[in-house]
Amino acid sequence: MEPANPGTFEALLKRGELIESASEMTPDYLRELKHTLIVSGDTELISAPAYYLAAKKAPSVNAFMTGIAIIQDELAHAHIAFHILEELGESQEALIFKRDPKAFRYPYAFDVPLETWTELVVANAMYDQAGFCLLGDIHEQCSYGPWKRGLVKVMAEENFHLRNGRNWSKRISQAGGAAKEELQRAVDWMFPLTVEWFGLPDNLKQHSAQLDYRLKGLTNDQLRQQWLSTVVPFMESIGIQVPAHKENGSYALDYPFPCTFDAGEKRWDFKDPCTWDDVLARWRARGPRNAEMVALFQESFSKFQVRT
Amino acid sequence: MTPEAGVAASLEARVWAALAEINDPEMPVNLVDLGLIYGLEVGEGTVRLRLTFTAMGCPASDMIVSDIRERLLAEPGVGEVVIEVVWDPPWSSARLTPGGREALQDWGLSV
Repeated sequence: MEPANPGTFEALLKRGELIESASEMTPDYLRELKHTLIVSGDTELISAPAYYLAAKKAPSVNAFMTGIAIIQDELAHAHIAFHILEELGESQEALIFKRDPKAFRYPYAFDVPLETWTELVVANAMYDQAGFCLLGDIHEQCSYGPWKRGLVKVMAEENFHLRNGRNWSKRISQAGGAAKEELQRAVDWMFPLTVEWFGLPDNLKQHSAQLDYRLKGLTNDQLRQQWLSTVVPFMESIGIQVPAHKENGSYALDYPFPCTFDAGEKRWDFKDPCTWDDVLARWRARGPRNAEMVALFQESFSKFQVRT
Repeated sequence: MTPEAGVAASLEARVWAALAEINDPEMPVNLVDLGLIYGLEVGEGTVRLRLTFTAMGCPASDMIVSDIRERLLAEPGVGEVVIEVVWDPPWSSARLTPGGREALQDWGLSV
């Protein structure tokens, strides 16, 4: 493939036009697009085994069907990203079935087991809200046409996941007693994990090729604020406490960011601040379910492969 | 509709209008245009409606039922909502209104 003329490419990007094929891209743009697609595909893919563990605890047949439908949606969304990657010259088989578990690029939050129906619906209300903010931004801003168009239905489906999360969170909170306490405990450990989902704060991130290439439109902190502005009022409206408050028009956290997390205990230590290097080291080491979840789909792939 | 006209409109007409405000949780089309409401009886503050879903495994069935209940109970004059879920005749795209068909086509579904 002939690399695109950088001059033509820059002009196209500057005019706000969409890039439609690999032949129009510079090698740098292609690399950055692939990286962004891998993060998105990995996130959608791993949410399936992450949600399935908890979906099995559904409190009714109807609720189980909703949980399973959400998992099916997530797999379909992963399929969109991996399909585009294949068109860009990557092998889906290698990416999904042959990569080392630690090489997957999804948010650390999914490595911490979701073990109850309550934790699943809090994930729908908070993790899917994070996905909604990130994908909504890509859907609006993305300079790569095939991905932008592929996200139209994804947004509608993520909205359905959010509704499941919010309806059930409200219902569990209204039930009160031990059910509400369980909900509060889930929010206590999952809220800070979703806050860090958006990555390094802008003042530590010197440069973003994703923004330069219009693969996304908002910075990490802008996306984090967008998430806080929906999740904080919602949780407060159903009587659940969250460690953040509104201050001078934006949301401020009520704990040191970042601080230490014990994944085994699902507990944050707000009295023990840490550095972003510590967080990046925790992310790189991955969490409790990483190897097991990746093995779930990789084992069967090799078992049933026809050898010629 | 002005408030005066709203009060004057028959309860049944208002119930149909209220149902047309409720969107399917998964698709940008309202429940009336989607053809999910098979029948409606209104009397003495009680609304009885026959409802179907597009599939027996509809993952949004709980949401649809609770959306209907919540919206209709907010309508002046409605004190009770009785929903009967029915499967005969099975739903098909033939039940879409022209408006529903257009909404789904605009969204990218071939119906």
